[in-house]
Amino acid sequence: MSESDITLKSGRADWLGGELPYAIPSKKLGMWLFIVSDSITFGAVLVCYAYLRLASPNWPTPFRLSSIVNGAVMTFVLLSSSVTMVAAVEAAKHGRIAASVRWLSATMLGGIMFDILHIREWLGLIHEGLRLYSNPWGSSLFGAAFFTLTGLHMTHVTVGVIYLGIVAIGFHRGKFTSDDVEISGLYWHFVDLVWMFVFPLVYLLSARMH
Amino acid sequence: MHDTSDQAAVHHHAPPKGFLWTHVFSLDHKVIGKQYYFLSLAAVVIGMVLSWIMRFHLAWAAAAIPGLQHLSQVGAPGGILTPEYYLSLLTLHGTLMVFFVLTTAPQAGFGNYFLPIQIGAEDMAFPRLNMLSFWVTFVGFVTLVSTLFISDGPPISGWTAYAPLSALGSDAGPGLGRGQILWVISIGIFCIGSLLGALNFIATTLDLRCKGMTLARMPYTVWAWFITAVLGLLAFAVLLPACVLLVLDHVGGTSFFIPGGLVLSDKLQPHSGGSTLLWQHMFWFFGHPEVYIAIIPGIGITSHILASTARKPLLGGSRVLVGCMVAIAFLSFTVWGHHMFISGMNPFSSLLFSVPTLIITIPASIISLNWIGTVFGARLRFHTPGLFAIGFISVFVTGGLSGFFLAQPSLDIYLHATYFVVGHFHMVMGVAAIFGMFAGTYFWFPKMFGRMMNETLGKIHFWVTFVGVYCIFMPMHYIGLAGNVRRYSAFVDDYLIPLIPVHKFITIAAFVTGAAQLLFLCNLFWSMYRGKKAEENPWDSTTLEWTIPSPPPFDNFGGRHPIVYHDPYELGVEGAKGDYVMQDSPEKLAQS
Amino acid sequence: MSESTTHDLSKAGMGWFLKIWAVLLFLTAIEVFLAYEDLPLHIMLILLMGISIIKAALILAYFMHLRYERSTLAWTLLPAMVFVLVMMVVFFPDSVRIERLGQFLH
Repeated sequence: MSESDITLKSGRADWLGGELPYAIPSKKLGMWLFIVSDSITFGAVLVCYAYLRLASPNWPTPFRLSSIVNGAVMTFVLLSSSVTMVAAVEAAKHGRIAASVRWLSATMLGGIMFDILHIREWLGLIHEGLRLYSNPWGSSLFGAAFFTLTGLHMTHVTVGVIYLGIVAIGFHRGKFTSDDVEISGLYWHFVDLVWMFVFPLVYLLSARMH
Repeated sequence: MHDTSDQAAVHHHAPPKGFLWTHVFSLDHKVIGKQYYFLSLAAVVIGMVLSWIMRFHLAWAAAAIPGLQHLSQVGAPGGILTPEYYLSLLTLHGTLMVFFVLTTAPQAGFGNYFLPIQIGAEDMAFPRLNMLSFWVTFVGFVTLVSTLFISDGPPISGWTAYAPLSALGSDAGPGLGRGQILWVISIGIFCIGSLLGALNFIATTLDLRCKGMTLARMPYTVWAWFITAVLGLLAFAVLLPACVLLVLDHVGGTSFFIPGGLVLSDKLQPHSGGSTLLWQHMFWFFGHPEVYIAIIPGIGITSHILASTARKPLLGGSRVLVGCMVAIAFLSFTVWGHHMFISGMNPFSSLLFSVPTLIITIPASIISLNWIGTVFGARLRFHTPGLFAIGFISVFVTGGLSGFFLAQPSLDIYLHATYFVVGHFHMVMGVAAIFGMFAGTYFWFPKMFGRMMNETLGKIHFWVTFVGVYCIFMPMHYIGLAGNVRRYSAFVDDYLIPLIPVHKFITIAAFVTGAAQLLFLCNLFWSMYRGKKAEENPWDSTTLEWTIPSPPPFDNFGGRHPIVYHDPYELGVEGAKGDYVMQDSPEKLAQS
Repeated sequence: MSESTTHDLSKAGMGWFLKIWAVLLFLTAIEVFLAYEDLPLHIMLILLMGISIIKAALILAYFMHLRYERSTLAWTLLPAMVFVLVMMVVFFPDSVRIERLGQFLH
């Protein structure tokens, strides 16, 4: 067997050893691998939700217009925070540390706002009688699925805010590089990406239709 | 010369100072590999003792096991196992063995130690993450073992923790309250440790190969660890949320896995709407790739050692072996339902699962035939690692063959939950995978500890174990065919009583085989301190781990960056010094 | 401080990213609008999933820069992830089974 046995097309030389085959730092590859794994985790929870919903004849659709609007605003906030995150990475790559830290802070603010809107909504629903184990509208699994799925996502957002904070401080102090900012950006966009699925599948499909 | 040191994650860190940083929280993949190995060793000893208790009880159900009442007054009053406590011990046995032995030692143990060395790297891509992964796994282990010491004992739901039994809480039986919660937490923690480890292995294999170490030149073991890591990254990602949902059924009052209308102890359970099948789907979606995670490193290790033993690479080289391992890995995500043929699942799904299950026998058979073909006509070196590698072929084929039967729903309707299945999975997991670990231990011990293990004791260990495991597990296929149900603690039915003598035979065989394992342990620990000093390359092997001192220095290659010129198994080469060419030897081969 | 060599290939400045953001918001608006249309569940599901996948692809390709990395990276990560997610669809025949079995009871 000789080197010509390597059949990958792009950048054949990348795979001969002593090189980074994807031309990205290992840390970044590590974050991508984590994202693949976490996507499957969220996918599994979404599948469980869909499975149980399909199996329940009395799945409630309790979200009033105000809830849907709230969800849409949350989507807007998260998408915008992704844009500020991109701005942070761009600034970091061009060496503009202070600007990057500002954009990172804006992203964190977006995350916090998302969390606040989310918890406000949770409290409203709890006030109406929604629990993990029961609700006044239909299948008791609704609360279980809803709180688990959105709770898991909100945990990721919150952890993300803390992560971005650590990166912002570290980047400001010169301990972290622009690569680290970019890697934290990958995580943040991933969290946004998951919400792209959670919002329609959980909220929009349970919108109150009158 | 391309300097990747600022982009690749290799840290040129100095050797650590202080006891804690050197021996406890070490970032050195070699120390971490040994930590995982010894954690597995502790787990396997506990698991083996549990199996002795169970086997004793199965043979002599009315006899007392002295001292057991001190472990659990309720579970073993007067030293006699209750049926519930039998199930508790069975759960712990299975969980410890599958997770903390089979998923740990072959991959995290040997893989951590030898993957970086075999690809010419100084360490793993993420040394701190590696250290964290071990300690996370350790916490998982302690959490699991702690269930032995709580009042109710370990859960009675088996390592498979089927709902609704595992979801209903303490009303449903002993150990199902706190014990089950601790079990779920332990496994959840284990998932996290495994995921982080898998990530590390993948990044390391892709990014840290030294110059000349193309994918095609990676040793079989590196391929096996890499493929296993990919399986782990994808499969554990599904077990983790399953555990979260199960724990919520316990502490959150949810009913993810609990249907309505269940009455326990005259109490109607306040749950409804859930699906027990959903747990089985989620669990086995993970569970099937998991068993390949348990065996693929063993396949890699056996292939690696066989090449050295037979003084030639495998037939067809890396391509055939790796192609088959990749096929098995891919297919492993399509067959999980074969654990659920009689669960009440949609019967058309059974067809859907049966076909790929039968197909997956093909690459496994190709590998087995490949080994046999490689060994046939070869001038074998019958040292202990070689014996265990050849023994692996035998037990893997034996265990795999019973799989052909179980793959067919029509047969599985009869065989499911009988000892036929117990025989099958013990042969492949409890024997073959363990043989892989033994082979790896004997083969790599000189490198890890700088000393040789005692060869005579090794050979005794091999022969007693090899004969012993057949005595233990072959009869299980027959009693399974006779209808012997599994997970029963005693056999009182008319059709089972005649089988008790077989159980007695199995139990005695288990004790004899167990004794041989104690011999192994003595050999292991004694040789660590008193074994004959080992040279750099005691097996005349060719891969990079044999180019460095035994034991290796802190940074593996003593500061140099190896360059690889050859395929990993240039063995039996005519005209070469000895009959082999090291991978990093600049010497050109006659026919290149 | 190292830069990804493919960074130079990405579109100039923030303008492009704002365009993507606008598209994502627009697609979200479509989804919200669809939620209030009286469509059968399976149609709604297909449409919403389809739009969500497009949004995810946009985020992956542009915000997460995957389009501008070596193509082997996307080929390494995405097929495995999609394969595993799709395999989980095989759970679903069992979700409707219990309800459908009820029709055999009297």
